[in-house]
Order: sequence, then structure tokens, then C-alpha cells
Amino acid sequence: MSAHSHVDGQLPHEPEKATLEGRNKVLAFWLFLGGETVLFGTLFSAFLALRHQVLDGPTEQELFSLPLVAAATFILLTSSLTSVFAIQAMHANRVKSMINWLIITVILGLGFLGLEIYEFYHYVQEGHGFTTSAFSSAFYTLVGFHGAHVAFGVVWISILIAQVSKRGLNVVTAPKVYVAGMYWHFIDVVWVFIFTVVYLMGKVG
Amino acid sequence: MADQQSTAQNQGRRHKAEGPKKHIIAFIFSILLTVVAFSAVAAGEVNETFIYLILIGMAILQVFIQMAFWMHMKDRGHLYPIIGILFGVVIVITCVIMAQYWVWWS
Repeated sequence: MSAHSHVDGQLPHEPEKATLEGRNKVLAFWLFLGGETVLFGTLFSAFLALRHQVLDGPTEQELFSLPLVAAATFILLTSSLTSVFAIQAMHANRVKSMINWLIITVILGLGFLGLEIYEFYHYVQEGHGFTTSAFSSAFYTLVGFHGAHVAFGVVWISILIAQVSKRGLNVVTAPKVYVAGMYWHFIDVVWVFIFTVVYLMGKVG
Repeated sequence: MADQQSTAQNQGRRHKAEGPKKHIIAFIFSILLTVVAFSAVAAGEVNETFIYLILIGMAILQVFIQMAFWMHMKDRGHLYPIIGILFGVVIVITCVIMAQYWVWWS
């Protein structure tokens, strides 16, 4: 596997929590996620306050297409499951399987991004630009920020895949993979609120 | 050989009882809650407040399931993460109430 590879069974059951550094990393990442919750919460509240201020631009009902949102939701939900499988493979010390699940997660993330880019492009064609109305600005800021998080996650997990392939799984690399998995779930959790508050509530009125 | 190894590993971590089953169940529940939310909107023309309540309920339930199982919040040793996230949630709820009821209040 690599120069730093370990004998089978030597890695602890939960390698991400085997060292103090690993445990601190996980705890600190939770605090970061608390901050991210506030960040997205403020974007959500701005969107909620401005979502009916459409000026001459298109309204939510005119814009949103539920099948597209449902497809994006299904892709992101599935990618969350595959990242869980990656962490489980890590706990079982099956590095190959872990890397494969991470690759599937990245591919699904790219699929989600592709749908979102298509969606935004389509909206701009319909005259729904960033500066069209308070609603459009709030919409692109909130959903775009989530999309940027997905893009960042895709890059991050790809780099981790490369690093684990090179250095193997050990008490240094395991916390990184675990924390990236948490990040990916968090993105999925934020998306649950986006499809509920932005798209579904937008369709209701 | 490879099979034997993986069996040995499985037995070694049996005390963790960490199979894919509960994650697949969490996934199925997430999908079900999503389908309920989407079909409530697609059905349309019911009571708006009622649909809003269904949507919020489905979202909160789904997030609860995902955080408990996928983010391991139900496991022991997650008191600080829960406190950290709850602090965030308190601020979020304050912001959302402010935006919903105060901004356009006259």
C-alpha cells in the first residue's frame, strides 16, 4: 500500500478518536459547524424577509421546477449515505472500500453541482439575475453559498482521497476523513432546509 | 484468505455493532420524509398553513434523524457537539423570527 502502511489490525477501531489531536479536531469541527449553522441561519432569515419582494422579476412559483429539485435532493441524500459507508469502511479498516465510497460521494457531489449550474443558468435566461430583485439576490446568496460549500467539499474530499491513497490510513489521516464526512452530512442537512424553505414553501406561496 | 481476514475484522469490531443496516434505515426514512414533503406541495390547493406545518415538521424530523445517525450525535460523548449546535440553533431561531415578524412589522 505505502511506506506508512500498518499491519492489519494495528489501527484502533475508531482511529479518528485514537489520539488527543484527533479528538480535538472532531470537537473543534463541531464548533465550526455551530458557526456554520449561524451563518446559514442569517442567510435563511434574510431570504425569508425578502422572498416576496420580486419587483418586476419572476416570482418563486414561476421559477421553481419541483422535479429538478427532487433530483438534486435525491443525489445529495444518496451522497450522504455513501459518505457514511466510507466512514464505516474506515472503522472496519478497509481502506480500498473507503476510497471507493469517497469517490462515489465526490461524483454525486459533482452531479449535484451540475444540476445547480444548469438551474442557475436557466433562471438567468428567464430574467432572474442576481440584481433583478431583493428576492433574487437573497435566493442566489443562500443557494449559491450552499453550492459553494458543496464545491469546497468536493475539492476537499478529492484531496483527502489522494492523500490516503499515498500515505495510507493512520491516526493522522483518519480524523481528516471523519471530519470531511461530518462536513458532507452538514451540507446535506442544510440542503434539507433549503429545499423545504426555498423551493417547497416558494411553490406554496 | 481475504474473506477470512474480513471475517476476523468483523468479529473484532462486533462489540461496536456498527452495521450498515441502521444507516440504510435512516436513508429510507429520509427519502420517505422528502417524498411526503414534495407530494404535499404537489397536491396543492389545501390549506396553506397546514402545508407549511407539514413541511417544517418533515424537515425537522429528517434533520434530527440524519444528525442522530449519520453524524453520530446519538452516540455517547457528544454532549459538547450538541451544546455547540444548540447555541447556533438558538441564534438561528431568533434571526428567523426577527426576519419573519419584525422586518415588515408596521
